[in-house]
Amino acid sequence: MSKQNYLCVVRSSSGTCEKPSPAEMEESYAKFNAWKEKFQDRIVDLGGALESERKIVTSEGVTDGPFVEAKEIIGGYMLISAENMAEAAVIVQESPACWSSSTNVEIRKCTAP
Amino acid sequence: MHSSLSTPTVVEHFFRHEYGKLVASLSWRVGVGYSEDVEDAVQFALMAALETWTKSGQPDNPSAWLFRVASNHLIGGLRQKANRSRLLEQNKIAEPDASDSAADAFFENEMRDDLLRMLFACCDEAIPRISQLVLALKVLCGFDVREISIRLFTSEANVYKRLTRARRRLRELEFSPGELNAEQFESRLPSVHTVLYLLFTEGYQSSHAELAIRRELCGEAIRLATLLAEHPVGDTPETFALLALMHLHRARLTARQDRFGGLLLLEEQDRELWDPHEIQTGLNWLARSSIGDVFSRYHAEAGIAAEHCLAPSFEKTRWGKVVECYALLESVAPSAIHRLNRAIAIAEWKDPAAGLAILDEFEPPTWLAGSYQWAAVLADLHRRNGSLEIADRNRKLACDAAPSPAVRKLLERRLQIDRR
Repeated sequence: MSKQNYLCVVRSSSGTCEKPSPAEMEESYAKFNAWKEKFQDRIVDLGGALESERKIVTSEGVTDGPFVEAKEIIGGYMLISAENMAEAAVIVQESPACWSSSTNVEIRKCTAP
Repeated sequence: MHSSLSTPTVVEHFFRHEYGKLVASLSWRVGVGYSEDVEDAVQFALMAALETWTKSGQPDNPSAWLFRVASNHLIGGLRQKANRSRLLEQNKIAEPDASDSAADAFFENEMRDDLLRMLFACCDEAIPRISQLVLALKVLCGFDVREISIRLFTSEANVYKRLTRARRRLRELEFSPGELNAEQFESRLPSVHTVLYLLFTEGYQSSHAELAIRRELCGEAIRLATLLAEHPVGDTPETFALLALMHLHRARLTARQDRFGGLLLLEEQDRELWDPHEIQTGLNWLARSSIGDVFSRYHAEAGIAAEHCLAPSFEKTRWGKVVECYALLESVAPSAIHRLNRAIAIAEWKDPAAGLAILDEFEPPTWLAGSYQWAAVLADLHRRNGSLEIADRNRKLACDAAPSPAVRKLLERRLQIDRR
């Protein structure tokens, strides 16, 4: 069975988290590199951060919100490939996006022609 | 923490050590008084690195990259504070040209010099010793307030208070670049030695169960002392002796604990676990320290550590030499605790009565008389000398005064009346 792409959207509870110390940052960096090496072929696009400014566009025009509750913000995205949803979940589970208890990741399969 | 970073140029503790180097370098360029702005800028640069490097890969010269981002951020921040614009004109932050490997090396050297200058700046006479240590851990080793409080067994509030006061002092001084003169470097060298010694001792002696955390402090002390020893401001016999004693002690660090984190006595330690490479490094520094006519306390302590490291077994230790070193230590750095240690060595060299004899001669100061060490040594020597009643009384005193469960356990085991 061919691999499918999955879009991963990283949500975190908004707000002021403590700044990490240099030791914590080097730990994150090391973990990230280890993760990246392990799943190298599965990462289609590392994506990146999403800015907080947003608009909703409808036929009526452009408006501000209603967006996801203010407490929860979408912080970033990435694209990975996996056999199925379960495998995608394993990859994401081990990813930097899930290391903090204040973040969660929504995974959606991308159907492309 | 120990997972290796995949890119070879980024070594272990890169972020933490880079933090120290950058804070020192930039502080020197804009003035030590701005250390808080500098630290914010460095924090920003490291965060930026984490985001950018994970996405686009690491740049060829990560240190230069961080320097650029941090100094740009710092300039931007300071520029907004109008009254500082004059200062910036005076101290333009020259961007190091890191286009070839010679420039890389130059950049590295300059960063190292700045780090050492910062170490001397932290050892300002007007800053209390413990605050000097806190400041060094923060700005030179890159630990944050919480991490320092864990390592020094104190509250975060206490660390914070010490940092604030020490920073205020640095601000009052308003160093401008290059202001520490040769005389100041020379007069502060003993304080620098003491701070490095304390840093090492904190790691070596602390009753912290977590070996990794203790090892880390010892490693930081050795890293800074090595920089000092290789630089004209600090390449003195005392520095070499200090490094010798650090390496010789670190050689035994792993062997000092049993599998459950309990402390082991010297005679119980598995000498196979002592690190021969560390011992050799320590002996090399000891050889380098034996020049000139200075005999410091570090020479004496390194000498004692060397005797233990070289002894094939506890019984075959050259106790006579150890006693000699303790006597020398007492003469250069008089302290009742050194006499107490000499008594133990004499007891091993001759007999317990001879050890007790040098303790009978003097009245211990109150801080020692009430300590577990004093009671424990009396308990041990009296027991071996056959005075079981005095021994038992002191055994109880020692166990009650033990500072941690690990030490208490050790004492209970060591001081059993019917032992051996």
